[in-house]
Amino acid sequence: MLLVPCPYCGPRNSVDLRYGGESQPRPDPATATPEQWRGYLYRRDNPADWLRENWYCRSGCRRWFTVERNTATNEFRHPPMPGDKRGGKA
Amino acid sequence: MAESPAFESPVVRSYDTASDGALTLADASATVKWLVRASADGAVAGRLGAPFGSSRAAAGGALVLGSRPGEWIVLGEAGAVAEEVDGIDGLDPSDLVTALDWTHGRALFRVTGPEASAMLEKVCSLDWSDPMTPDGAVASASVAKVTCDLARNDLDGVPSYLIFCDRSFGQYLFDALIDAGNEFGLCVGPGGL
Ligand SMILES: [Zn+2]
Repeated sequence: MLLVPCPYCGPRNSVDLRYGGESQPRPDPATATPEQWRGYLYRRDNPADWLRENWYCRSGCRRWFTVERNTATNEFRHPPMPGDKRGGKA
Repeated sequence: MAESPAFESPVVRSYDTASDGALTLADASATVKWLVRASADGAVAGRLGAPFGSSRAAAGGALVLGSRPGEWIVLGEAGAVAEEVDGIDGLDPSDLVTALDWTHGRALFRVTGPEASAMLEKVCSLDWSDPMTPDGAVASASVAKVTCDLARNDLDGVPSYLIFCDRSFGQYLFDALIDAGNEFGLCVGPGGL
């Protein structure tokens, strides 16, 4: 079980959340090149290390938030602040 | 408050169980329930007085649950609920406030007994220990794979939990709770809050 630190609900079982993938800044659709847009949609860094990612608290508070997880150890760090949407979808 | 049509519970099939026991399940779906949405720190939030994760027993008898950031459930007798929600959508014109009677939209169950949390642990991954889920605590979580609102609301010192789900899942969740409680001798108690 992965305990995900939701900024509203506290630590919650990951089955109650939806994984939103790597958190990347969204390019401006008006000025992005097709390459930039494709990179935003499909290219992932996929490091075996710390990764900034989006989570959706599906069965809890129904909020998106961003948090850092170590993909090799599944530790979380920098518990997110409510309303932290850096690179996020919300 | 507008008159509601006659209420029909989503639970149409119950079970023959022992008539009394230490662990009971009650169908409280007919309880009047309102949903209020507003900003989490405005005048409406101040009047409702139950920040996300907490609940408040109003003087008039209604129960106010802070079910999500900026979302509340008010439940109880119709008059008591009206005391809390009447006029609330006009309280703060600068805020986007919705107040909705969803009595007919949500099923509501109450599970009561010393082993209620042990039973719920089987179907819900919340931490049900007293420090994390004390009397008055409110949360949302998956219960038997259905997204539910949950509130701990002890009765005379006995642990008791309110579980809300979409009406259409009511019978399924009732069945799932019966199944989860079977090993604890769960019995179906009289309906109502
Ligand atoms: Zn949450």
